[in-house]
Amino acid sequence: MSDLLKKSTLLERGGLLKQGRLLLPALLLCALPFYLDAFWLRIGLFSMAAAIGAVGLGLLSGTAGQLSLGHAFFLAVGAYGYVWLAGEPGPGLPPAVAAVLAVLLAGAAGGLFSPVAGRVKGVYLGVATLALVFLGHHVLLTADSVTGGFNGRSVPPLEIGGFTFAETDPELTVLGVPFGAEERLWYLGLVLFALTWFTARGLLRGRPGRALVALRDSETAASVMGVHVARYRSAAFVVSSMYAGLAGVLLALSFRRVVPDYFSLLLSVDYLAMIVIGGLGSVAGATAGAVFVTALPLLMTRYADQLPLVATPGSGDGSIGPTEASRYLYGAAIVVILLYAPDGLHGLARRTRARLRRKSPDTGPPGAGPTSRPPATTANAARTKEHTP
Amino acid sequence: MTTRTAAPPALEVRNVTVRFAGLVALDDVSFTVAPGTVHAVIGPNGAGKSTCFNVLSGLYRPTAGTVRLGDAELTRLAPHRIAALGVARTFQNIVTTQGTVADNLMLGRHALSRAGFAASALRLPRAVREQREHLAKAREIAELTGLGAHFDAPVALLSYGDRKRVELARALCLEPRVLLLDEPVAGMNAAERTRMTEVVREIRAELGLSVVLVEHDMGLVMRLADEVTVLDFGKAIAHGTPDQVRRDPEVLRAYLGSGTTGEDAA
Repeated sequence: MSDLLKKSTLLERGGLLKQGRLLLPALLLCALPFYLDAFWLRIGLFSMAAAIGAVGLGLLSGTAGQLSLGHAFFLAVGAYGYVWLAGEPGPGLPPAVAAVLAVLLAGAAGGLFSPVAGRVKGVYLGVATLALVFLGHHVLLTADSVTGGFNGRSVPPLEIGGFTFAETDPELTVLGVPFGAEERLWYLGLVLFALTWFTARGLLRGRPGRALVALRDSETAASVMGVHVARYRSAAFVVSSMYAGLAGVLLALSFRRVVPDYFSLLLSVDYLAMIVIGGLGSVAGATAGAVFVTALPLLMTRYADQLPLVATPGSGDGSIGPTEASRYLYGAAIVVILLYAPDGLHGLARRTRARLRRKSPDTGPPGAGPTSRPPATTANAARTKEHTP
Repeated sequence: MTTRTAAPPALEVRNVTVRFAGLVALDDVSFTVAPGTVHAVIGPNGAGKSTCFNVLSGLYRPTAGTVRLGDAELTRLAPHRIAALGVARTFQNIVTTQGTVADNLMLGRHALSRAGFAASALRLPRAVREQREHLAKAREIAELTGLGAHFDAPVALLSYGDRKRVELARALCLEPRVLLLDEPVAGMNAAERTRMTEVVREIRAELGLSVVLVEHDMGLVMRLADEVTVLDFGKAIAHGTPDQVRRDPEVLRAYLGSGTTGEDAA
């Protein structure tokens, strides 16, 4: 009994520590719009949107072991769904309602695909979803009245209770900093990202997450333990589509214009790169990968003139442009990660932390060594569990 | 949280035949597992023991014949429905999933818990409470099977014997009425075998469940089983108590062979 009590206090302390560790980055992220200009905020926004989408794909491919090349399709459903539902031509719904409906629409699109997603396994699903991307791209180009065809459509700004996420209406200046579209969207992005983080972690650590991990590791074991295989496979697909839809809405709001060519197969591959670089099956990893893959080309474009071997955009002398260079870079990153850290940035961070922690008791005061050892190992064990989603 | 307290119904295997493209893996096999007993299924390699288990747990659908647990006909149900009825199994080659012992045992609680995608994503109080209750129960079962000290350890780091025990504990987490053990002591050393035997004896005494046991270790079978069915080339060649079966000439022939008769049976 006393053992149990000790354990619970230990857990509580861990929880407090964890909250503190979450609070600091959260405050930092909230403070950023006061210091960064629109360029950096836009990078942040795209990263947040990508992170939301990557978390969704991570849930499907990393946790449930179902490869999807159709993520771009569901991003497009979210983005275009919002634009059509909130805009003219279209029903012209209040933008907030349109945003929610767009996410549900993406989920419904995933649900329509569930007869396939529930039955087809692993790599084969990747091939099946490939069709979705091409189909989606074709529809985006041809259904002019809804999608605006090749030129796309401009995105109506989000409006919640009279507050518009755009440059004006109402004019807003906080602490001497004028709040334009980027600053406002930044906070929207933070809220949506926090929501994604919260829900995805809840899923992964709860009953559905365990069922999906079991499906990935052994379909037989999962079914014998009572997991309805087809239902969980399709549910994972639907949930992943909904995250993609949410990411699509945020992307549309940040771009302020949606065009079909953005939602190509390349985008799906980008998202796969994110979760592989970040580390399969973890929310933090997907986020890290998303930031890496999103921010790298934008940063390289911005600083192209200062980088060796990279031509400034538009110079057209046959050398490597910043976009290509960043693709080479993250291609190389994938190779390096698959070779040396197959569990991605997240696994790398975890192992580094574990190594640091193992080092620290040795350098501590010699008298406290043997007595402090057992609690340290318990804490270690608890820690490894926390990092396993 | 649901707990099954009623005595398990009898598990009846009736005239089960399984054919794989011309190969008869099980040929008209029948036996009944009486409630609360340990029933061993033995036989040489390739006799159809694992096929039999796969039929019982719904992974294979038999070509003919039925398996009934009380009123339910298992042969018409998908594996997850059979699990929900309280039939749990372990595998001959260990099949655990990534994560800690706790994660694996909590998978065993899947059929007994309710929290779905929405409730878990939003961490509704009901889902959080359910998870806490089931975690406590899983810890209890870990203690019972001697895994208490490893509860939060990743399964991949455990010894072979411990991983075998994780499988057993995971099956127990389902609170089964019928427990199917596929070679629970295969590959274990003497000490681990003794310990596993003790654990199986204990859980059967404490939980009052029926156990179907596939095992090559005759010592274990003789010590644990109330009744034995012997399979050879897919046919049930003998039934009875361990002592009866040990003296059965057919069984001796199947295990030891006697000149050309072994060839004839093929």
